[in-house]
Amino acid sequence: MSPHVRSLPARLSGRRRGWLGLLGAACVVATGTPSISGQGSAAFRERRVVVTPPGPWTGPRLPDGQPDVAGFWSNTIGNHNNLTDPQGRNAADDGPPPAEGAPRRPRRADAGPVEKAPSRVSDPADGQVPYQPWARARAADFGAHLNDPVKPEYVEPFARCAPGGPTKSFMWHGYEIRQYPGYVVFLFDSGNRVIHLDGKPPLPETVKLWNGESRGHWEGNTLVVTVTNHNAKARFARTGEFVSAHATIQERFTFDPAGDRFTYRATYTDPTTLTRPFTITIPNKRVTADTPIDDWNNQTFLANFPAGERHAPLIEAYERICVEGNDGHGTPAEAPAPAPAAATPTPNVTRRNDP
Amino acid sequence: MLAIALVASTATLAWTQSPPRRTAATAGAARIPRTSQGHPDFSGIWQALSGPEYDLEPHGPRKDAPPGEGIVDGGTIPYTPAGLARRQANFAARQASDPRLKCFTLGVLRGTYSGEPFQIFQRPRDLTVMYQFGHPVRTIHTNGTTHPGGHIDFWLGDSRARWEGDTLVVDVVDFNGETWLDRAGNHHSDALHVVERWRYVDANTLEYRATLDDPQVYTRPWSLSVLLHRRREPHAQLIENYCYTLDYDQYYPVPTPSAGGGSQ
Repeated sequence: MSPHVRSLPARLSGRRRGWLGLLGAACVVATGTPSISGQGSAAFRERRVVVTPPGPWTGPRLPDGQPDVAGFWSNTIGNHNNLTDPQGRNAADDGPPPAEGAPRRPRRADAGPVEKAPSRVSDPADGQVPYQPWARARAADFGAHLNDPVKPEYVEPFARCAPGGPTKSFMWHGYEIRQYPGYVVFLFDSGNRVIHLDGKPPLPETVKLWNGESRGHWEGNTLVVTVTNHNAKARFARTGEFVSAHATIQERFTFDPAGDRFTYRATYTDPTTLTRPFTITIPNKRVTADTPIDDWNNQTFLANFPAGERHAPLIEAYERICVEGNDGHGTPAEAPAPAPAAATPTPNVTRRNDP
Repeated sequence: MLAIALVASTATLAWTQSPPRRTAATAGAARIPRTSQGHPDFSGIWQALSGPEYDLEPHGPRKDAPPGEGIVDGGTIPYTPAGLARRQANFAARQASDPRLKCFTLGVLRGTYSGEPFQIFQRPRDLTVMYQFGHPVRTIHTNGTTHPGGHIDFWLGDSRARWEGDTLVVDVVDFNGETWLDRAGNHHSDALHVVERWRYVDANTLEYRATLDDPQVYTRPWSLSVLLHRRREPHAQLIENYCYTLDYDQYYPVPTPSAGGGSQ
C-alpha cells in the first residue's frame, strides 16, 4: 500500500471530496468555466496561459518584508506527460482516471482540433528545446521507450519517487509554499525544496543534488532564484527532455499582487546539450477552500476544529511521502508495451493508473 | 568571553542537578529565542549526539554499535511478550530488515534522534520539521486544529500541538506500523500514540521528551528523553538526502558526448 495521499482511506477522501465538491460545483456555475469532463481538474485547468507581468508588489507582506505568497498552488495546464504540447498528447488526462486494474484509455487521436495550451517552451518561438542533434536523439529515445524500459536508464526517475527537479516539480500535483525569514520552502508531491534568501553561499559544485542548491531574492513581485549543484538526473517530461549537469538555471516566480496567480519561468543555459538557451513558462493558480477537490491540482483537506467551535474553512495538506521506489509511471494514453524478453535485464517496474 | 563561559557552565550545572528541568528552564528562560507572539522559537538545525539511534536501551559494545547508556526512563521498554519476541526477531535480522536500510522515512521518534540533522521552520500556525534523511516533512499544527477523523496510516503521524508555558506539547496519532525506533529493532504498531514535550534547556539546546502508548506492543506507557543540539557552524545547512534514489542513481543522468558519447 502506498503511503501517498492517493492511498488515503476512501471513506476519508470521499467524505472530504463530497463536502468540498458542493463548493466546487457552485464555483463552476458561477464562473462559467468550461467543463470538459465534469472532473474537478477540468474546472481548475485552463486552455490558455495566463502570464503575470513583473512589477511592484502591492499585496500583503510578511513581518520580514517578503511578499506574502504562502499557501497552496498548482499549475493550470496539466502534467508532465508532454513538455512542448502539454495538452495535445494526452487528451485522456482530462477524463476520469481508469479504475484500478482497468485497461488504459486509448489515446484520442481522432478527438479533432481543440483549443489547447501552447508549448511550455516559451523561448525560442517555435516552442521546441533548441537541442544539439545528439541530445535531441537521446530525448526522443527516452520518450520512445517510456513504456518499454528495456534498460534501467529508460525508467523515468520520477516514476521511482525521485524528486522532479527544479522545473518538473511545477508540472505535477499541487504544492505548498511556506515562507520564513531567510527562506521560501516548497513542499511538492515528490520531494521538497528550500530556497535560501539568507545569503548563505551554495555548497561546492562537486555536491550534486536532485533539486540543486537554490539561492534567491525578491525583486518587486518576483522571486529570482539561481539554481546550482543540480544533478541533471531528473527529466522535464515523459517525452524525455533533459539537460546536462553543466546547465545553469535562472528561475523567476512572478506573483500577481491580487494573490491568485503566479507565473513560473526558468531559463536553461547549457552548451553541452543546447545550441542556445531556452525558457520554460508555467502558469500557476492558488488553491483555496473553494477549489474543487480533484486529487490532482487540489490534494488538500479541510482541517478539523474542536466540536462546537466555528471557524472559516481551513485547508491543510497531509504528508506526501513516496519512498517505495518501485512504482512505475506510464502515460495513461497508451497501452502497456509487451513484456521484454526474459533474458533482458529489466528494472523492477510495475504500472499504476496515475493521472 | 568570561560571561559566555559562565552562562555555559550554569546551564550545564542546571542540567545535571536535581530537579534538572525546572532549574534549567528558569536559568535559560530569559535567553532563549522567542517569536513575536512570545513563544519559544525553535527555528534552526538540530541534531542528537547521544547515540540512541543504535539502541534506545542500555547496551554494551557491539560490532555494529557503540555502547550506550540508553534514553528510556527506567532503562527498558515494557514490551508485551509478543512485542518482546518481535523485538528480538527484529534485532536478529537487523542487518537486513531495518527500514533505514531501504531508506524509508525514519519516523517521528527516530527521525528526531537518529543523528542526521533536521531543520525546524516555525510560524504561528505550525512548525515544519524537515528531516535530512529522505527529506520528508512533518507538520506540527499549533493553530487549534484537531486530528482528522478515523485512522490514517502516515509515516510521520498527525501532529497537533499546544503551548504549555514554554513547552510545546504535541499529540501524535495516525502512525503506520512500518518504522522502527532504532537500529536494534525496537518497534511499535500503527496504534501508537505519542505525546511529545519540546522545550529549551538553553538557547542552543532542546530537551525532547516523548511518552509512547501502544497497547498492542507495550504493557504500559513509557517515556524517553534526549537532548538536541543546535548546529552552529557558519556553513551548516540541511543537504537534501533522497537516500532512496541512491540504488538507481547510477543509471542517470544522460552521458554527454565528452563523458562517453551520446550512445551507450
